Amino acid sequence: MTSDVSQFLKGVKEQGEQGKLVYVGESLARIDGLEKVLGKPVYTGDMLARGTVHAKLFHSSLPHGKLIEVDLSAAKAMPRVLDVLTWKDIPGINESSAVIPDRPFFASSVVRSTADILGAVVAETEGAAREAAEAVKVTYAPLPAVFDPIEAMKPDAVRVHEGGNVAKEMRIRKGDVEKGFANSSVVVEKTFRTQFQDATPMETEVGMAVPAFDGSITVIGSMQSPHHTRAALMKMLNLPADRVRVVQAVTGGAFGPKSDETPYDVCGTAALAALRLKRPVYCAMDREESMVMHTKRHPYVITHRTGASADGRLQADEVELYLDAGAYASLGVFVIGRGIFHCTGAYEVPNVKADSYLVYTNNTYAGSFRGFGGPQAVFAIESQMEDLARKLSLDPLEFRLKNMLVAGKRNATNHLIDGSCGLPQCVEKVVTSSDYWNKRKVFADQVGRLKKGMGMALLMHGNSLGPEGNDYGAVLLEVGRDGVVTVGTGLTEFGTGAVTGLIQVAAATLGVPLSWFRLARPDTSRHRESGPTVASRTVVVGGNAALVAAERIRKRLVLVAADVLMVPEGRISIRDGVAFDETDSTRSIGWAALAAEAHRRGVKMSEDGFFMAPPTPWDTETGQGSPYLQYTWGALIVEIELDEETGVYQVTDVHAAYDVGKAINPTGVIGQIYGGTVQGMGYAMMEELVHRDGKVVNHSLADYYIPTSMDIPKSFHSFIVEVPGPLGPYGAKIVAEPPIVLPAPAIRNAILNAAGVAIDDLPITSEKVLMAIKKARAAKYPS
Amino acid sequence: MSKHFITMTVNGRERSLHVDSTDSLLDVLRNRLDIKSVKDGCGTGDCGLCAVILNGRLVNSCIVLAAQCRGAQVTTLEGLLEDPQMKSLQGRFLKYNAAQCGFCTPAMLVAAKDILSRTVRPTEDDIKAGISGVLCRCTGYYPIIQAIQEASEGRSR
Repeated sequence: MTSDVSQFLKGVKEQGEQGKLVYVGESLARIDGLEKVLGKPVYTGDMLARGTVHAKLFHSSLPHGKLIEVDLSAAKAMPRVLDVLTWKDIPGINESSAVIPDRPFFASSVVRSTADILGAVVAETEGAAREAAEAVKVTYAPLPAVFDPIEAMKPDAVRVHEGGNVAKEMRIRKGDVEKGFANSSVVVEKTFRTQFQDATPMETEVGMAVPAFDGSITVIGSMQSPHHTRAALMKMLNLPADRVRVVQAVTGGAFGPKSDETPYDVCGTAALAALRLKRPVYCAMDREESMVMHTKRHPYVITHRTGASADGRLQADEVELYLDAGAYASLGVFVIGRGIFHCTGAYEVPNVKADSYLVYTNNTYAGSFRGFGGPQAVFAIESQMEDLARKLSLDPLEFRLKNMLVAGKRNATNHLIDGSCGLPQCVEKVVTSSDYWNKRKVFADQVGRLKKGMGMALLMHGNSLGPEGNDYGAVLLEVGRDGVVTVGTGLTEFGTGAVTGLIQVAAATLGVPLSWFRLARPDTSRHRESGPTVASRTVVVGGNAALVAAERIRKRLVLVAADVLMVPEGRISIRDGVAFDETDSTRSIGWAALAAEAHRRGVKMSEDGFFMAPPTPWDTETGQGSPYLQYTWGALIVEIELDEETGVYQVTDVHAAYDVGKAINPTGVIGQIYGGTVQGMGYAMMEELVHRDGKVVNHSLADYYIPTSMDIPKSFHSFIVEVPGPLGPYGAKIVAEPPIVLPAPAIRNAILNAAGVAIDDLPITSEKVLMAIKKARAAKYPS
Repeated sequence: MSKHFITMTVNGRERSLHVDSTDSLLDVLRNRLDIKSVKDGCGTGDCGLCAVILNGRLVNSCIVLAAQCRGAQVTTLEGLLEDPQMKSLQGRFLKYNAAQCGFCTPAMLVAAKDILSRTVRPTEDDIKAGISGVLCRCTGYYPIIQAIQEASEGRSR
C-alpha cells in the first residue's frame, strides 16, 4: 500500500475511532477505490487464461433484408480458425432480448438492422478471428426499410416485425384538456426532436467463458445484471440454472446498455463456443462494434400543445411522444413509461392528455441509458415552459415558480406530492448562487456579437422501478470469525460508487467502520437474484436490504456482548467497532473479539437481507396513480457565452442543486452530479450517433465526440439538498441518473436568452445556432 | 509479416523480445509483458486509455508500433507505484473520488505524472490540457483536476 493512501485511510480510521463518523453522510473513500488508484482491478480482459481463444461476431451490413445464404467456407478455411457459429448451432432458444422476445441471438432468416448479429468466428487469436469474420460471405435479398418512427406509424409502412411497428403504447388522461384550453389565453405548440446518444462506457462489452468437465459453464464479464445474463444464457444454451454460473468482473462503466442485450451477446457467444471447443473463450466487442450493436438512448419526436391562463398558470398540455425503438424493443417498453410519466416535468398541469408510442424502425436499436426517457421528455417540457413564459411576458423563473410542484400539488399521473419535495430549496440554491435576478437584467442590455445568456430547468425524477416491475434487492452479509464483513449482492458496482453507499448503510447499522468490510464479486452461484442494477436503485433499495441484514446480525451480536459483559442487552451499543455498556463504556468488547466469541458459540453470522418496495399502482388506461414511490428533485442554471457571428458557444458556469433526501456519501453524490452533468452536456451540445439509411456512420471516438477535459465549464457550483424521502434508508433518494437530464433544456434556454433563437432539436451544435440566427435575421430584415 | 527483435526498457527493466511488424506497443505491454494497467478502449488512438510515457513523452501505445520501440524507455503506472509524486496523486484521486469505474484511472495517473514532471505548479488550464487526451465518462473530469491540482500544491489532506 502506498504511504499516502494508507495515511488517508488511517485518517479515516482515526476519525472513526474518535467517534466522529457514523458512516452515513460521510465522504468515505470507496470500498474499491484503493485497488483502482493502484491500477490493480482485474477487468475481464485482464484475466484471460493461457489457451483462451477468441470469438469475433459478424453482423448484418443491411438494415433490412432476407438472408439468402451465409457462406462460411472461406472463413472456415482460414488459418487458426477453430469454429464458426450461426443460429443452427444454438442448442436452446434462438433469442437474445431483455423483455419482449423479438430479437434473435443470431439472425436466421431476416435482418432488421445493421446491429443484427449473424454469428461468430472462433480462432486462436483475435486477429485471426477478425479476419475470418470479415471473410464470411452473406447474400441478402434487400427489403424496403423505414427509418423514421412517424413514417413507421403509417398504415402502409414497411413492417419491421410481423405484428406491426408499434411495440407499445401508453397514455395519460388527466382532467379535460379541452376545458383547459378554453381557460388558456396563450397556447404554445411545438415539436421537439432528439437523437441517438451512445453511452460510451470506457470498457466495451466483453465476456469470457470457462467450461467445466461436466458440461457446466462459468461466464465472467462486464455487465450490470449478472442474474439477467444467466437467465438469457440458460434459455439460449438450454441449460438449467445450476449449470450456468455468471460472475460480474470489475466493470469499466456501463450507463445502461450493459443491463440490456449486449452482455448476453458476448457472454452467450463465449459460452456457446467454450462448450463446443471445451476451451476458455473470450468474446470482446471493439469500440466500433460496441457503438453499433449496443442499445442507445431513444430518439424521440415530441409534440406539445400547452396552454396557460393570462395570470401564468398552466391549464392544459396535450402531448404526443414517439420513440424510435430501432429494430428491437429492448428496454424501450419501460423507457416509454418513464418518458410519458415525466412529460409535464416538475409542474402541475390540471389537464393532461398524452399519448406515447414505441415504434420499430430499421435503425440499430435503443434501450437503457442513464435517465431512461427522462432527458427527452424534460427537454421538451422545459423548452415549452421557456417559450410560454416569453409569450406571457413573464420572467421564466417567475413562471416556473407559479407552476412548479410543491407539497399538496399533483403531477401528470395525479400523484399527490408530499412533504418530501425539496424542489423549492433546490431552486433557491441555484438562483442565489447564480445571482439570477441581477444577471437577467444585465444580460437584457447586451450589444455586440458576443452575448451572455442564462437558462434554467427543473427536475422531478421518479424513484423506484415503478412501471418496470417488482422493485427488490437482496444483500448477503457474512461476518467471519475474524470480524471481517463480506458483502455479497447481485446489485453490481460499475463505477457509480453505489455499492459503497450500500455498505455505508450496513456499517452504520452494525456500528463497524468500513475498513472491516470486503466486497465479494457478484456471482449467480453465491448471491440470489437481486433484480437488475438499473434506475440508480442500489443505495435506495439495496441499502434497505443491507439494513435488514445488518440489523439482524447486530441484534444477535448485542446478545452475545450482553452475555460476555454481563449487562442487560438494552444497555449495549456497538459503535466504531466496539460493543460497550452505555452506562459504563469501560465495559466493552472489540469487534474482532465479539465476532470470535459469537462464532465460538455457534451464533448465525450471516444474513441474506431482502427488501421489496411497496407496490406502485396506476391505471393503464388513464396513466393515473402513483407509479413512483418518491421523487428526486433538482434545479440547474447554466450560463453561456455565445458568438453571434459564428454560432460558437461555451457553457461557462453551472449551478446545480439536487434534493437527494440524504447524501449517504456526499463526495459520491457530488461525483454523480459532475459526471451526469457533463454527460448531459455532451448530449446537449455534441453527441449524436448518426444513422444514414440505417447504418451508423460515426462509430468511432474520432467521429463521435464525447466531452473531454477541455469541454467542461470553468466554474461548477453544486449543492446537495436533503429533504428525506419515505423509501430509502435514512431518507435517501436516487442520484446517479438525474443530473444527466437538465443540461439540454437549460442550455437550450440559455441560448434563447442570449441570442433569441430556440433550437428544438438535439444536439445543439454551433452550426444549428448559426443557421437559426441567420434565419431570424432574414425574417427581421427581409431582402 | 516480418519479425523484429527489439530490446526496450519497460518500467526500469530491460526486456528483449521478438515482435511482429504489426504488433502495437499496447499489444506487447498487455499480452506479452502482462502489464494490465494499460487499457484498450478503442485501438485507434482516440480514447487515451493506453497512454504510457515513451522516452519522456505521453503517447497512446495502441498507435505506436512495438518495432519502433527498439532501445526505448517505457513507463506505465506499474513502474511509478513507488514514486512519491505518484503516491501523492493516488491519495488525492482516492480522496476526491476521481476513480469511479477505474478504467481510465491508470492512464489519467500517468498523464498527471507527465504534467507534474513538466510543470512544477500547473494551472487549471495546464491540467485540463495535460489530461485532454484521456477520455473519462464517469467523473466529468472535475474530481481528477482537483486531485492533480492538490497533489501539485503538495498540500496535506
